[in-house]
Amino acid sequence: MEKQQHSSGSESPVLPPVPRKPRSLGGVIPAPRQDSVDLPDSPTGSHVEWCKQLIAATISSQISGGSVPPEAITREYKVGKKIDFKVSRRTNLRAFKDVRRQAPMDEVPLVPGETVKTTVKDVMYICPFTGAVTGTLTVTDYKLYFVSLERDAPYILDVNLGAISRLETISVQSLGENTSGMEIVCKDMRSQRFAYKKEEQSNLEILEVLTKYAFPLSNELSLFAFQYKEQFPEDGWKVYDPVSEYKRMGLPNESWTISKINSNYEVCDTYPALLVTPTSIKEDEIKRVASFRVKHRIPVLSWIHPETQATIVRCSQPMVGPTDRRCKEDEHYLQTIIDANAQSHKLTIFDARQSIVAENHKAKDGGFENENFYSNMDLNFLDIPNIHVMRESLRKLKEVVYPTIDEPHWHSAIDATHWLQYIRLLLAGAVKIADKVESSKSSVVVHCSDGWDRTAQLTSLSMLMLDSYYRTLRGFQVLLEKEWISFGHKFAARVGHGDENHANSERSPLFVQFIDCVWQMMRQFPTAFEFNELFLITILDHLYSCLFGTFLYNSEQERVENEVNSKTVSLWSYVNSQPEDFTNPFYVDYENHVLYPVASLRHLELWVGYYVRWNPRMRPQMPVHQNLKELLYLRAELQRKVEELQKEASSSHSISSSSEHAYSPSNGGTPLHTSV
Amino acid sequence: MELSEHIKTANVEDVTLRRPFHPALRGTLCVTSHHLLFSDGKDEASWQLLILLKNIDAIEKSVEILFGYPRAVGSSGTITIKCKDLLVLQLEIPGMEECLNIASSIEALSSLESVTEMYPFFYRPSHLTLSSPWGLSSMEQYYKQTERLWDRWRVSTVNSDYSVCLSYPSAVIVPREVDDDKLIRSARFRQGGRFPVLSYCHHRNGMVIMRSSQPLTGANKKSCKEDELLLQAVIDGSKLGYIIDLRSAQQAQQARMTGGGFESKSCYSDWKRIHRHHERGKVVQESLIKLVEACSDPSHSVDRWLSKLENSKWLSHVHSALSTAGLVVECVERDGHSVLVHGSEGTDNTLLMSSLAQLILDPASRTVTGFLCLLEREWIQAGHPFQQRCAHSAYSHARLKQECPSFLLLLDCVWQVWRQFPLALEFSEALLLRLAQEVYASDYGTFLCNSEQERCAAGVKENTHCLFQSLLRPNIEEQYLNPLYEPTDLVIWPSVHPQSLQLWTGLFLRWTEYAQNMEEAREEVWSIVKEHREQAGPDRTNNMLSTHCDTLTPFENLMDELTIL
Repeated sequence: MEKQQHSSGSESPVLPPVPRKPRSLGGVIPAPRQDSVDLPDSPTGSHVEWCKQLIAATISSQISGGSVPPEAITREYKVGKKIDFKVSRRTNLRAFKDVRRQAPMDEVPLVPGETVKTTVKDVMYICPFTGAVTGTLTVTDYKLYFVSLERDAPYILDVNLGAISRLETISVQSLGENTSGMEIVCKDMRSQRFAYKKEEQSNLEILEVLTKYAFPLSNELSLFAFQYKEQFPEDGWKVYDPVSEYKRMGLPNESWTISKINSNYEVCDTYPALLVTPTSIKEDEIKRVASFRVKHRIPVLSWIHPETQATIVRCSQPMVGPTDRRCKEDEHYLQTIIDANAQSHKLTIFDARQSIVAENHKAKDGGFENENFYSNMDLNFLDIPNIHVMRESLRKLKEVVYPTIDEPHWHSAIDATHWLQYIRLLLAGAVKIADKVESSKSSVVVHCSDGWDRTAQLTSLSMLMLDSYYRTLRGFQVLLEKEWISFGHKFAARVGHGDENHANSERSPLFVQFIDCVWQMMRQFPTAFEFNELFLITILDHLYSCLFGTFLYNSEQERVENEVNSKTVSLWSYVNSQPEDFTNPFYVDYENHVLYPVASLRHLELWVGYYVRWNPRMRPQMPVHQNLKELLYLRAELQRKVEELQKEASSSHSISSSSEHAYSPSNGGTPLHTSV
Repeated sequence: MELSEHIKTANVEDVTLRRPFHPALRGTLCVTSHHLLFSDGKDEASWQLLILLKNIDAIEKSVEILFGYPRAVGSSGTITIKCKDLLVLQLEIPGMEECLNIASSIEALSSLESVTEMYPFFYRPSHLTLSSPWGLSSMEQYYKQTERLWDRWRVSTVNSDYSVCLSYPSAVIVPREVDDDKLIRSARFRQGGRFPVLSYCHHRNGMVIMRSSQPLTGANKKSCKEDELLLQAVIDGSKLGYIIDLRSAQQAQQARMTGGGFESKSCYSDWKRIHRHHERGKVVQESLIKLVEACSDPSHSVDRWLSKLENSKWLSHVHSALSTAGLVVECVERDGHSVLVHGSEGTDNTLLMSSLAQLILDPASRTVTGFLCLLEREWIQAGHPFQQRCAHSAYSHARLKQECPSFLLLLDCVWQVWRQFPLALEFSEALLLRLAQEVYASDYGTFLCNSEQERCAAGVKENTHCLFQSLLRPNIEEQYLNPLYEPTDLVIWPSVHPQSLQLWTGLFLRWTEYAQNMEEAREEVWSIVKEHREQAGPDRTNNMLSTHCDTLTPFENLMDELTIL
């Protein structure tokens, strides 16, 4: 039944980006999967490919006189209440078949550097949406690839090993005595169950092989990124250069300097080599400040306002401890930050934690800045719960969205996960920070406990609101490279790349949460971002995939030690080699505009395009960006002309943009979007 | 009583107006027979707010009285005005008496019952003349345009004096072989005389969607030969038709106790009955009230917002409407069978299903003109009792009588379809919002009265202007067009799963800053698409000069906008 065909279109898609496959953008709508089948050199599965197939499936089904309306699918699932619509479905199926061509499917598409480790026949995939299918399962050092030819359309399931969180044997006694079962639980909101016969030797080792390659680090192997041999025309490792990024912000200047004090990672091993610190602070002072801050994460500049010189500074919590310890150098350091901004004599410290938690940290030698010792300072708690709470929230969310959805209680179930409430807290916190910098022209210091989780979320979100550069395709890459990767968000620990210890309490979806916030902003400002939703989903998929080196390891130091830049490929190489796939056709450069998203629950939406994408009933209807690809090219053309004109015009009259920075929310904390 | 007699205080100075997301303004407040006017200055450039009194759903007043000084200079009152378009305003009025006078005038004038006293009868803009045509479409015209109908169907004027069915238009389309006498008998067998009439003929296969009210079988299982013949004539040669009854089987059974009922298998052997339960009347109105209540909670961290949204059940009404419309479409398009849709009276959910099904099936109804024609045929002429249903909206404290937001539900469903198929509809969200506003309070006569018969008696066509005509002429405003429109002949099957349905923020969160962002984005998209069109235009190779102008204009617009912001 076509229902299955649909799912074959939507469940199989998985990560390995297959770069530089022949572009079939303008092409006529192919039948689902067809193009990937026809081109052996173009392995299935890139995201772009997946989306195109989904779209093709949707559209071709409409062309063939309409396939199953989603309504019909629902009915399938309802108990016994089916009415006699089967007749029509069958006729339809025929229409569908004609479009489809059969092609040999036994070949497993491989990315350069990938090798097949084992192949097992007669494996049953127990699909939660369409029932069991039997086929061949192949495990490579990069992916798990299952093909079934028993249905009208080849059924393909392609799961990236990096996405696997845990592997378990399950009982499948109902399928016979000699059958073993295995469940694969993924980090990207899905799970798969397989059943296979125990008898044959090769079958015995399937779980073993899978475990070995899914968790290479636990099995003394290296991550697949070090085997991946794809060549791209663009070099993504060149996207971020700290010196030129700081230069873009106008740094160094008289107050701030690019310091090499951490060039050997000796002051702080989780910070990047280059740091921006106040010019007047001497090295030994910095070292004493470092000893007062947890993990030596001293206050450093993340962003500076081009006009007011107000700055966003990040650090970790001060080691105040139960005895209310003081550090003269730390106090002086923050005073220097105030002095560097002539517009304001105040500094606002945003502590991401709940005040009670911050208080508790004092007992553990942490704490927060005592306002009695730090004069001219405002301390604000943003009340954001910790990584464990977020992990639990996403776990609950997965239960709600996968595999089956309790439709009558969809909203209350989402509500109960609190996921959107946390998204709101983050956005509201970032709006407060951005507003402080923009409207009060005051510098801010942001920290949580260690300064690499919530701090990174908040600084990067507020920078995204303040600085339109970060809303471009390149700029966003720079933002991630800078605020997340170089400043030591512990990707390896939070994601658990190649590590089998799924219960590790260090794991947490903080980065996913951040990307979700970006998506929410994108929804509220559909024309303000140069990139599209596909870009965000691609980033999240490669957060787990271990195909690229971009998100590997915990810090810059570790990445340097492991020569990530020379031995692996950057995700941005792939992205920037086909930027048109990731570009929003409606992008308008709101240069110098500060975007304040509405951080109200009513205006947030669950990102179903990501969290519920494995559900075959979630077929995208008619994605706008696809149909307007052509528009993109024309726009680029136009843009170029406008720039030329601008150049001509600028000689006669210059267009001032300095006054445009006054887009500001009124009455302090509440994010209002008023025009001035 | 003259309308002006309700006005005790016509003018108050020094009134403070508070609107969401705008700074408070001071100015003069004026009450006229039909409007509330606020103006912040006396010169020409002053900012003015004009609200139709009919748009006011509820008014709350609070008066500060200083004891012993009832007429003290400092005493003032606050009036909160809650509009049917969901806008909430606050007016601080100096002087208690003035405040109370204004409030009582508004109360009296906002709930006028007599149609001819309503504003459309007084609205006389200079650019419109009363002699211009009223309405866009009629059943006769639909018949003329639909060649497929000519063979087996005819236009019957049996109801020309509205004696057969009070709520039907004067002309209806029925099977050619059924004569008017049979129609009259069938009408007697249907509630309110709403005998089965043609609503839509599918351009692909000639299958039709019929609508009616419930048959009056009653407890004794009455039957009506003529009604059976009429339905038999609908399916003619083919073996099967579907009756989609918008009540549960149990409800349909119960309806027999009160004289209603359903088409029994024994009498209508070629028709297959499917029951789909739909909430109606009060339940839907209460949903709207709950939803609006949840939406207007002022705090940003609305606790359990999604649960409140779910509890309002509004989206579940949207879900069932779209599902059943999908079912109708499935019968017609996929199975190739004709369908009869009805609930009880056949004036609410019935019309919802028949019009949604057409939107999904028929590309012609997805253009601006086509959509407005659809609304005119399926809602206005088909006798949806607008006046009763839209007497009050979500804020009113009045006891519910026959209010029900059926039409709003339709607009929400259309919006869901538009969101899922952003390219398939020629019109934009702005048109839906405009209609949502006009249906409750309007300068035009289009949504007045409960039926053609009433409109005829009140002289609506002669004495008011037609909204649909004025939307289309002389040219439809750009804001009502979808910049991304690309006509498609395909059936557009909407997904009805809760994860695919969204709250219509454009309507329910209309008065928030979010709406402003979206509005700006919409403008951007427009200008981009226009650039694109100019680029891709046929005479692309015109001289360079014009290209320069073309590109410069949007660029300048952009710069203008930046500066404004």
